[in-house]
Amino acid sequence: MSGYKETALKESCFRPGSTLCPGCMESVAFQNVGRVSDNGKKTIFTIGTSCAEVSTLAFPNVVAWGRGDRAPDDFAKSFSILHNVFESAPTLAEAVRDVADSLESCGALKSPVQVMAASGDGGAFAIGLRALLHTIHRRTRVTIMVLVNEIFANTGFQYSPATMPFAETSTTPTGPDFPGNPQMPLDYIHLAIAAGAGLVAQVSPAHGKLFLKTVERAIECPTTAVLFVPAPCISGWKFEDGETVELALLGAQCGVFPAFTWERGKGGKVLDCPLDAKDRPGIEEFMARQRRFQHMVKRDPATGTPAIQPGREQAMERLHGWVQENVERLYRLAEMK
Amino acid sequence: MSPESTALPMLHVSTPAGERYETVIDLERVRAAHHPLYRERQTVSADGNVAAALATLQMWRCILYAGFPITPSTKWLETVAVKVAEDAHGIKRVKLLEAEHAVADYLVGAAAACRDLIFPTATSSVGLDHMTETTRSLGASGLGNVMLIDVYRATANFPLCIEGDPSDTLAHRDDGFIQIACRGKQQIYDTILQSPCLGMHPDVMTPTMPGFYGIKDSHRSARLTVEPDHEIHEFQDRWIEPCQLPGLINGDTALGNCVTSRFFQGFKLAQKRRLERSLDVLPMIGADFERTFGRPGLAYFDSVGWREAERVDLAVVSMGPDFGTFEALRPDYEKRTGLKVAGLAMRLLTPFPREAVRLKLANASAVLVVNQAHHVGRGHLTLDVADALSNLPSPPRVVSAFAGLGGADVSEDTWEAMLDGAREALDGKRTPPWRLYHEGRAL
Repeated sequence: MSGYKETALKESCFRPGSTLCPGCMESVAFQNVGRVSDNGKKTIFTIGTSCAEVSTLAFPNVVAWGRGDRAPDDFAKSFSILHNVFESAPTLAEAVRDVADSLESCGALKSPVQVMAASGDGGAFAIGLRALLHTIHRRTRVTIMVLVNEIFANTGFQYSPATMPFAETSTTPTGPDFPGNPQMPLDYIHLAIAAGAGLVAQVSPAHGKLFLKTVERAIECPTTAVLFVPAPCISGWKFEDGETVELALLGAQCGVFPAFTWERGKGGKVLDCPLDAKDRPGIEEFMARQRRFQHMVKRDPATGTPAIQPGREQAMERLHGWVQENVERLYRLAEMK
Repeated sequence: MSPESTALPMLHVSTPAGERYETVIDLERVRAAHHPLYRERQTVSADGNVAAALATLQMWRCILYAGFPITPSTKWLETVAVKVAEDAHGIKRVKLLEAEHAVADYLVGAAAACRDLIFPTATSSVGLDHMTETTRSLGASGLGNVMLIDVYRATANFPLCIEGDPSDTLAHRDDGFIQIACRGKQQIYDTILQSPCLGMHPDVMTPTMPGFYGIKDSHRSARLTVEPDHEIHEFQDRWIEPCQLPGLINGDTALGNCVTSRFFQGFKLAQKRRLERSLDVLPMIGADFERTFGRPGLAYFDSVGWREAERVDLAVVSMGPDFGTFEALRPDYEKRTGLKVAGLAMRLLTPFPREAVRLKLANASAVLVVNQAHHVGRGHLTLDVADALSNLPSPPRVVSAFAGLGGADVSEDTWEAMLDGAREALDGKRTPPWRLYHEGRAL
């Protein structure tokens, strides 16, 4: 394992020039993953259609990928990236892995290759759940990163199966009888474990050291490693500039998307998110910072304290229940080996 | 250089698609790892699926066979799996995926990973439809090392029909693949050996979709001459050079970018030009194949009954094994009617060889086009033939027929009924836009 400072000084394969929104967690995640993957092995990324594709691979704009200003002389620093349709990233990665393994098996490829797939939660949990689960099921030696911003951000902030209950999206609008998204989110962490992943984690760069260490472990995993990265979306969640990391931290601490790491045969742990609700920050503060929940929570103008909007008490009670279930479920999953 | 790096600086060259590292992949190792299936020419009994499977198994560049079973193409995958399992210490592997869409995505990843290897699969009908989102990406990708074998079967499920008509392949004319139709086991085998040579040609770089009729060809056995692996390799190596563009493994590159409409034009123009260049390359490969193996190689079409510079009264354009029935009855029909009758069995469906078809049909008084797939109008082939003839000063009348839908046999009676119907055009009578024939009569 590399030290935090050592990793921070490595050369990322994610470069300036993307058109991702300022403050987008995806770019922070890519920057960090890009550094961790500078480890002496050639890196290949596959991505499905998502913000990550249209904002980093646009031609003739800057392609925001690659190590260094020119193609590196050191093959281990070289970098390739492949994009195909929304759901395809895990399958693309699996194919690249298989070709590399086949070439290695006959001595035709001597330089090691590491393969990573990146999808949004729309690509991974909605249109692409099949692809995600089957690549995991086949125990493919790839790292799958799912950037979970709880919406189809690329197409205009529509509902996804990871959307938090009662969030307003462009397809789950609010009204007197419609408090936003009525669905409970898909339990994607449990699904990934059940499908056979070797490592499953939910962690964002807001937990800086943990994120880097987890990415490092994921890359070294001998089977499929799945990294769910909570990714506050400044445009879709509608929060103020500069709050991305704070919001990611708060969301994890209050139990909406707790930091969680798990390895097959070893079990796992929930970090920085106590089991007992009274020991965690309230979710109202997390919600009050985002206008997607303005129909649920508002700040008291005098005290600044978040308060439940009149008429939303029942919905808020259900939301508290879901958060507690979410935390308890992860604690139970952590005990599995 | 990173501290953990074990790689030495490596020769790399710049290409329009990024950097290519020269010595990363040693293809000779892949070639050396190939275990021959046949060391000498043999005659075997095979159905179409087996013929297609044997051809792909004999190529040293095929090491991964992705697939998902669907009738009537399933036996291709089963045959490959059996042969791979029998081959001790071989490097070939079968990759079973969870759906056809996944197969198509897998082909993208694999073909992009190493552009010097060939990645085949086989599918049919709604399996091809399920792949469509990605076959359209593949068609535009420049990944000519993908070969999608389509075992023709009617599409749509209301009603479902598992027999072989080419409505699947003809519904995918715009996917961007080079589509080649085969009839008979030998032609299937031979076409599959040649297809990657065409698709991977540096001027073409377009994936190929060789196809043959489900049931009629996929499930009926006949004698098949198989060539020794080493001769197949020598033939393919004459046409397939190391790709000048980088793959994901041996490159520093990006594939599948997003472009604005301004730049989209250039990509599409290049795609069309690559596809059209196959018209120039295909006959050269076909001629070399014939010189090498002594059997007809790739061609735009099979010609029957044409005499040099001589007019024919009635020309028939169709495809597939039912054309053989027309071939068999043609001499008697000529004798009985006093008409000169000739025919073209189309091989190259996409790009459609307009010029060659026009040159041939310019000498006909009327053209009967027999379509075997559902179409909203006069038929896929009819529209292509009409387009090919459109620039002639006085083009022959085109008569459109549908027959053999859903894989139904096109009997001698049906052929004669269609030919008789087309004679109305020779007599100057009006003919309907299309007629659908079955069991000897128009329905």
